[in-house]
Amino acid sequence: MKTLSFLARLCAVLAGVILTAITLVTCASLIGRNTIGVTLVGDYELTAAAAGAAVALFLPWCQLRRENIIVDFFTARASVRTNALLDRFGALMLGAIMLLLAWRTAVGGISAFRSNSTTMMLGFPEWIVYSAMVPPMVLTAVIALVQTARGDFAEKGQ
Amino acid sequence: MSALTLAGLIFACMLVLMAARVPIAIAMFVAGVFGYLYQVGPAPFLNNLNGLAYARFASYDLSVIPLFILMGNFATQGGISKALFQFASVIMARFRGGLAMAAVMASAAFGAICGSSIATAATITSVALPEMKRHGYSGRLATGTLAAGGTLGILIPPSVPLVIYAILTEQNIAKLFAAATIPGLIAMCGYLIAIAVYVRLFPGHAPEHDDDRPRMTLAGVMAVAPIAIIFLIVFGGIYGGLFTPTEGAGVGAAATFVAALLRRELTLKKIAHCFYATAAASAMIFLIFIGADMMNAALALTQVPAQLASVIQGWKIAPVLVVSGILLFYVVLGAVMDELSMILLTIPIFFPVVMGLDFGLPKESVAIWFGIMVLMTVGFGLLAPPVGLNVYVVNGMAKDVPIGESYKGVMPFLVSDVLRTVLLLAFPPISLWLVKYVG
Repeated sequence: MKTLSFLARLCAVLAGVILTAITLVTCASLIGRNTIGVTLVGDYELTAAAAGAAVALFLPWCQLRRENIIVDFFTARASVRTNALLDRFGALMLGAIMLLLAWRTAVGGISAFRSNSTTMMLGFPEWIVYSAMVPPMVLTAVIALVQTARGDFAEKGQ
Repeated sequence: MSALTLAGLIFACMLVLMAARVPIAIAMFVAGVFGYLYQVGPAPFLNNLNGLAYARFASYDLSVIPLFILMGNFATQGGISKALFQFASVIMARFRGGLAMAAVMASAAFGAICGSSIATAATITSVALPEMKRHGYSGRLATGTLAAGGTLGILIPPSVPLVIYAILTEQNIAKLFAAATIPGLIAMCGYLIAIAVYVRLFPGHAPEHDDDRPRMTLAGVMAVAPIAIIFLIVFGGIYGGLFTPTEGAGVGAAATFVAALLRRELTLKKIAHCFYATAAASAMIFLIFIGADMMNAALALTQVPAQLASVIQGWKIAPVLVVSGILLFYVVLGAVMDELSMILLTIPIFFPVVMGLDFGLPKESVAIWFGIMVLMTVGFGLLAPPVGLNVYVVNGMAKDVPIGESYKGVMPFLVSDVLRTVLLLAFPPISLWLVKYVG
């Protein structure tokens, strides 16, 4: 569990660094465009591709901390045990859906690779973004399935 | 099976899963999967999934959301809230309930660089609550004020719920932000008035005389100057058409990062915390996007949402009553469901209904005005019992205040919310006035 927690942290920090890098590219692009009239070609596409990877990398930490919103209105009076059991069931569903998404995103990535799909301006291959998204999705699924089997992580509350 | 029965079953499946504590995003997704599979079979379903995550995650328009969240977190960890609260307390010191008013103003100012109500509530609470206690404010007034002030985080642009509304309805984010500005300022003034009235009607919740008045210092002014500058750059640029909202968020995040670095508040550990908080908030929102996409695809196949618009048009009731009905429905639904999920789930259904009505206004104006009305209801849902998320957040930070006291404390602000919502509902030009100046 320590390893999974470490990997989730690593993903979140990596994604944060990617996002911060986007902000700097944006500044550079804007300064170039509004002062010397030089536009950074494909800055929108770069932002979209980087955001795609970053959002996927954010998923494991969100699940580890159980930050995905639930409705606790109807179970507010149920016992702690019942709620813990339901939470395990919820984690199981999330894990299963995440595996399904990882599988289909991988298939989508393979077909993007075969058809050589690229972005319009930069010609950036789309399969790279797809393949950056699959590993964090698998990690999220594994975290959720471990939560199903063993309950919450000890490392959760940090 | 008739289309209506099927749509009903899809909804029922979602509600049962939600009631059983399954994450809302997953409940919507699973219900959508059943509806989709039943109507088109496995092969088209699996094909549809191939690009679903890519389309939402790697989207230029949507990347504005994690960027604004990151900006808010840099502001949170950078100690900016403390400077804002100190500055506001100097200005408001002469009034009865002045510190509570200062908390509202600091929340509004923080809301101008942060798009999340919970982040605003938590940040301002951490600096203002100890001060209010020290000066003898009651737990009821202090927590109520801070929970209400937190909603200014989304009522004043940037606003994550408003960005989501803009993307779902394909409206211009800059225009929606402009439209939210005056209602946001009205909200702030309404809260200030609520405090002034409350401390006079119910003495004992705020000190009668407060001799411990801070003084205006140059250092205090200098500490809030960066926030004003960042706000002017980001929104000047967005409104003036110099850059897109995504670029504005990027520049704002970079500038807030630098401002926090210059204050020497940002350690490596705090930067990591910014990233963790951004991770949790962003991933949660994007997962709800994916779930709502699946659910809405299944519902769209049943044709029920499309028929709903023509059915309601056939009723020939006053358009403003239809909108009021939708807003009331949101208030009820908001009692059990979180506000972002509610918007993502229902806007694809209700928006065509509203656009099919004749308000005597251009279509774009109706879309913008309805967005502001939805935003107001979201703010209300964050405060109203039984589940006001902001009240929980603030109350959780005030260890010795019972939750019932906090709910009593938000009552004057809820009254102010209702009055404001009615005002904006009756007079769309209040929201639309600034929009025409957007370049």
